Amino acid sequence: MAVGHGDSSSSDKKSTDALSDLQTFNAENLQSNMKVIYYSRTFLSIIGGVIAGILGFKGLIGFVFYFLVMAVTSAALTAKAKFSIHSYFDTWNRVLLDGFFGGLMSFVLFWTFAYDIVHIF
Amino acid sequence: MGLGFTVGVIGVLILGHAAYSTIQYRSLLKITEEEFSGPPMEVVLELLVGLLFCMWAALTVPGKFLSVHPHSDENRVVSLPENVDFMIFNHRGRAFSSEVGLKLKH
Repeated sequence: MAVGHGDSSSSDKKSTDALSDLQTFNAENLQSNMKVIYYSRTFLSIIGGVIAGILGFKGLIGFVFYFLVMAVTSAALTAKAKFSIHSYFDTWNRVLLDGFFGGLMSFVLFWTFAYDIVHIF
Repeated sequence: MGLGFTVGVIGVLILGHAAYSTIQYRSLLKITEEEFSGPPMEVVLELLVGLLFCMWAALTVPGKFLSVHPHSDENRVVSLPENVDFMIFNHRGRAFSSEVGLKLKH
């Protein structure tokens, strides 16, 4: 009686195969996890941009610094997920690559901003 | 979340202080007419500490990861219906005084 017909409101699922556990997942939690990654990456891109500007990076070395910061962020996010990516996400690409280019735009913006403040004015 | 937020603010303040130190260092270099090759070692250390604080804040503040498995313990589909409009209390259950051990999904 209290066992209602499952899909009431909160957890809608995507499933292609009822037997395979990896195909079926709780989409609402997945979206929440993606938001967490997005916020973390954006904030760290901004901070990385400010640091690159303060250090006075010009040209290619700044982008190398950005890739370095993103690599450390990916490692830290993997550690936050306790290295079992499949219990929080569906593919590896989401943890490693999501939000990468959006973060690049924020990085360049704050890099230019900080560089101008510290080194030009 | 309050602690992570505070740590993030402290990290940003450390970065601001490092920027201010670099500006002062540059004006000193302008007086002695030398080239700017890089900020002094203390500023680099300060930037590293600020980066570590901000990194810790960036991982802690947005929230925890929730499990995606449909069969794990915190993703129970079986739950009491949450819609208050359909809850009625004027039924025979009033006659009982038992504790019901069903888990609520919140």
